Amino acid sequence: MALEKLIPLLMDGIKDTLYMTTISTLFAYLLGMPLALALVLTSPKGLKPMPLLYRVMDFVVNIFRSIPFLILMILVIPVTRFIAGKSYGSTATIVPLVIAAAPYVARMIESSLLEVDPGVIEAAQSMGASIPQIVFKVLIPEAKTSLIVGATISSGTILGYSAMSGAIGGGGLGQIAISYGYNRYQTDVLVATVVLLVILMQIIQIVGMFISRKTDKRVRE
Amino acid sequence: MALIELKHLTKTFKGKTQTVDALRDINLDINQGDIYGIIGMSGAGKSTLVRCINFLEKPTSGSVVIDGKDLSTLTPAELRKLRQEVSMIFQHFNLLQQRDVRGNIAFAMEIAGMKRDAINKRIDELLEIVGLTDRQHNYPSQLSGGQQQRVAIARALATNPKIILCDEATSALDPTTTTSILNLLREINKKMGITIVIITHEMSVVESTCSHVAIIDNGTLVETGRVEDVFSHPKSSAARKLIFRKTGADAPPLGKRMIRIVFEGNASSEPILADLVMECRVAVNIMHAETRDVGGKAFGHMILQLPEERVQQEKVIYYLQSRSIHVEEV
Ligand SMILES: Nc1ncnc2c1ncn2[C@@H]1O[C@H](COP(=O)(O)OP(=O)(O)OP(=O)(O)O)[C@@H](O)[C@H]1O
Ligand SMILES: [Mg+2]
Repeated sequence: MALEKLIPLLMDGIKDTLYMTTISTLFAYLLGMPLALALVLTSPKGLKPMPLLYRVMDFVVNIFRSIPFLILMILVIPVTRFIAGKSYGSTATIVPLVIAAAPYVARMIESSLLEVDPGVIEAAQSMGASIPQIVFKVLIPEAKTSLIVGATISSGTILGYSAMSGAIGGGGLGQIAISYGYNRYQTDVLVATVVLLVILMQIIQIVGMFISRKTDKRVRE
Repeated sequence: MALIELKHLTKTFKGKTQTVDALRDINLDINQGDIYGIIGMSGAGKSTLVRCINFLEKPTSGSVVIDGKDLSTLTPAELRKLRQEVSMIFQHFNLLQQRDVRGNIAFAMEIAGMKRDAINKRIDELLEIVGLTDRQHNYPSQLSGGQQQRVAIARALATNPKIILCDEATSALDPTTTTSILNLLREINKKMGITIVIITHEMSVVESTCSHVAIIDNGTLVETGRVEDVFSHPKSSAARKLIFRKTGADAPPLGKRMIRIVFEGNASSEPILADLVMECRVAVNIMHAETRDVGGKAFGHMILQLPEERVQQEKVIYYLQSRSIHVEEV
């Protein structure tokens, strides 16, 4: 493909991919964070054990996590239509992306929160801290570094999902790769999109790791 | 009325396969101003007991009364309020890793709902008390164990507690640092009148620091009282095991009769043994000797191996008893 046509096409692709990835990551965290906190607090060893609720949430998260993304995307088409008004394009794809990513993000956050030293939580309890105080002053701040690493990995995964969504009507670089590279045998376009996806992934990874290292107070300076 | 009253306290842990009676019918009064040591072997139930005092662990039965308040009658909010008066320090310090020294001390006061200005002022005072003013902007990972425990002590003092509970607070520290932390605790007790409960498995901690001691063995309190009384005349075998753990005196070689003699107060400055040898004209073998300073009073004990002959043995024992020295067979 001619360069003057390829470049605007790819620029549009990058824009759509970043749009889908960032908005989906944001919403996945908005849903995943409370879910993760609920899992941690209601677990049998948590601060407010509620075995039944915990088992139900745990089960639901596992179900969503075990459905492959492309199949999930097809399964939730009615939901996507209901929320976005249509089932294809970048904006509509955010719906299945969030549904797939929220349970994933919840597990990431859950494992970060579980890494917090139980001794520190006990110390907070011994000072008379309430559960909200423990959540906002101990759990989240102490897990910060691990949470940032988790966010890095999660947004990378969501970037990958967004590219996959191109196969069945999602937008962005994935869609360009499939419609030009696969359907029309334009290998140069295919290669270009792959290179761009790799670069985006690298940027997310480098920036995420940099921030997590910068904010961690556990390393001796 | 005692500041802390434990009445018929029991704690049973029910597991899937087994139940553990961690505490059985514990009765203990701790008075305002005491430094009360609770000592026992690993698994005896020390941590469980101390965690019952601030209800981090709910007792299975019995009651914990602090300053006249029965903890089981408090609402969750009242219990949280009470915990601001009963601070706790831990073996592994349990500081927030992502906050610096000031932030860690502030934490206790933020929970108590104090205002920023008041918090900052109090932090300065506390840093002075624990001697960490020059380290106030360091993070825990930049501090030694002893310094971290000082931060934990400052944090424990922040809300002006009546009681400080210490669960193996010096067990992760070297001997010199242990001494300095114990000195700090003693000073806090003396100057601020704060009652301190020290859980430990180390005799030396109780000797150097505590006014009273309770010995816990297998979930039961086997002995309680003033340190000098319990240590000079331990009645239970658990107490003897703890006190003479290093000497191996509980298992003397067969056929050799040994006694343990105890000196108290000025008796330890008299040349008892020299007198004994001269008066009775016998040779005794000193198997083990230790003198210690407990609560400002010198006391010591020795394990003596007696001569072969029965008559001479009785002579030695009679002589020692006539000098009002406590003698017991080991
Ligand atoms: N949460 C729990 N569930 C079941 N059993 C427990 C629990 N906590 C303590 N125990 C048991 O209760 C007994 C007393 O434990 P505790 O931790 O109080 O001992 P300890 O005297 O503090 O020992 P150490 O010196 O090793 O710290 C032990 O047999 C222990 O296994
Ligand atoms: Mg313990």
